[in-house]
Amino acid sequence: MTESGSASAARSDASSRLAGWGKVLGIFGLLVAIVVTTGAMNPRFFGAENLENVLQRTALFGIIGIGAAFPIVTAGIDLSIGSVIALVATSLPLLLDAGVPAGAAVVVVLLLAAGLGVIHGLLITRLGLQPFVVTLCGLLVYRGVARYIVDDQTMGFGSNHDGLRSLATGRPFSIGALDVPAPALVLVAVAVLAAVFLGRSVWGRWMLALGRNPVAARYAGVPVERVTILAYVICSLLAGVGGVLFALDVNSVQPASMGNFYELYAIAAAVLGGCSLRGGEGSILGVVLGAAVMRLLYNSIVLLGIPSQLEFAIVGGVLLLGAIADEVVRRLAEARRARERARARTERTT
Amino acid sequence: MHHSARPFLAALSLGAAFLAAACQPGDGAGRDGVRIAYVSNGVDPFWDVAAAGARAAEAEFGVDVEVVFPSPATAEVQRQKVQDLLVRGVDAVAISPVDAENMTPFLDSLTDRVHLITHDSDAPKSKRRCFIGVDNYEAGRACGELLVEALPDGGEVAIFVGRLEQDNARLRRQGVIDALLGRSSDATRSDAVDAALSGNGFTVVATRTDDFDAARAKSNVEDTLVKYPELAGVAGLFAYNAPACVEALKGAGRLGEVAIASFDEQDATLDGIAAGHVLGTVSQNPFQYGYESVRILKALCEGDESVLPAGGTLSTPPTVVKKDNLEAFRTKLEADIAAGSGK
Repeated sequence: MTESGSASAARSDASSRLAGWGKVLGIFGLLVAIVVTTGAMNPRFFGAENLENVLQRTALFGIIGIGAAFPIVTAGIDLSIGSVIALVATSLPLLLDAGVPAGAAVVVVLLLAAGLGVIHGLLITRLGLQPFVVTLCGLLVYRGVARYIVDDQTMGFGSNHDGLRSLATGRPFSIGALDVPAPALVLVAVAVLAAVFLGRSVWGRWMLALGRNPVAARYAGVPVERVTILAYVICSLLAGVGGVLFALDVNSVQPASMGNFYELYAIAAAVLGGCSLRGGEGSILGVVLGAAVMRLLYNSIVLLGIPSQLEFAIVGGVLLLGAIADEVVRRLAEARRARERARARTERTT
Repeated sequence: MHHSARPFLAALSLGAAFLAAACQPGDGAGRDGVRIAYVSNGVDPFWDVAAAGARAAEAEFGVDVEVVFPSPATAEVQRQKVQDLLVRGVDAVAISPVDAENMTPFLDSLTDRVHLITHDSDAPKSKRRCFIGVDNYEAGRACGELLVEALPDGGEVAIFVGRLEQDNARLRRQGVIDALLGRSSDATRSDAVDAALSGNGFTVVATRTDDFDAARAKSNVEDTLVKYPELAGVAGLFAYNAPACVEALKGAGRLGEVAIASFDEQDATLDGIAAGHVLGTVSQNPFQYGYESVRILKALCEGDESVLPAGGTLSTPPTVVKKDNLEAFRTKLEADIAAGSGK
């Protein structure tokens, strides 16, 4: 009884891990399809310049997507990402204008972002508010604060702070003709840390367990509150990192529009990459691929000369087709496995 | 007990916070005299300059001016803001309607209660008393002429703009295209976004919109540079578009190779002109929008109709700013903004 129970648990664990890999393979397939189609129709797609552009954007959106994945893994959500980006992106030039040294200014805004995550986490765990409500209010509050502290003025770095800006615009080394954008290195570092944390560390396992079954996790001795708070801190911190890089990259921060809807891009990247909104499932590699797919779609729309008006229709349509294909393939594979099992059973009985 | 008290306490503390925020200095409530609302179509540094004009007129003419920037910039939000202003008891409204066609019945309903004028973007079929603004088609032509002048051999040109639903964006785009292709002036012309447009040595290869997202504005330029490696010039029709072009060209290491023509007077644009990366910019004189709006509405409130311009339109001429008049323009802009903030 115990033996077969643990065996079946191991099997279901293995099969859910397989399903996770299936999702990653699915999104990778979609990515390859977009790359091949766009490249075939416009060979300039494969030029170093374009690949650098796509890498840069994937890095920026991938970082906030990884952040978004953590609350989702715990079966929560963070809707405040775009406004945290706006707040950080307006605060950074404000601090620099006030004469704060660049390094200190970056640390301060990142601490600010992490602090917001702590507040989200405390409101959710201690007061028992719903993550949706807490972070929706965050979305509104931080946007308002960002607009207020700079009086709706567009913020930027002018032609100063090129050293700091190289964090976002720099190309530290090359692979062949391809100058690797600095944010891509940040993404790799963040992704490796996040993947190790989620897949190998105790806290990461706790996070997944909490998302799968919070009651069981609590009974199993998981420090549910601290794990939840940590998920929101990671999310806000990475939104802060994204905010710093976005601001340094575009050099024009309009507090009313900076980062609008970016929480949806981040959540979409996470979900496309295999994070279940029901919690307990998530793959960092999948999130990065999900972010890449979104950016590639926008890129190919321009490269193929598709009118701007069709943009959202194309992005939505391709993502939906990808989701349908993923589901169909999964069902076909499942049906085949079922047939094989049935055949094996009949062979045993005869 | 505990649970019933919680929402009550929450509401109480929210109310206290709200009151604290409302009782700020600079609030015109409680003063006598003419009260004028100046309503923009969104949030932008452009509107800060316009607001400075309204503030300068407020001090000069001894009226109360409330400046309102609706955000998000939709027709619905704008309508609600105006309704709230009516409740607060304003006597006159100057508005830049987000959606001229569909807001006309609403605008007409206002004219029974307040003096109404439009600025920046008109609602010509409404009962507004007059319109103050630049001729966007001619301003677009001026922007296109910058490229014609800089590119005697013509070439491929791409246009970047926030969105094309607004009248001013459509008219500017058409003005740029008509100037590039050497066509006669005809503001009623309307070329489709995906139409093949060439003539006079120029080809307009693309018009890209970004929905006011600065990162998208930049990536649109980057992708267009990849798709059209021969691109000779770009026109940025909204204030932030030319700065996005500068950043994208800088990233591609092609600053100076592609000519940039701009609209409005963001710092990055003016810096770009000084550095020689931007050909020039077409300024709409937003300070005048604010100043003239308040001047005309104040007179209307006092029963003076002589201020109304003939034909119902007060055209503020666009200023083309290039390297040679940059310093003079900047000095005046700074003086204007200082006049508005020193009320």
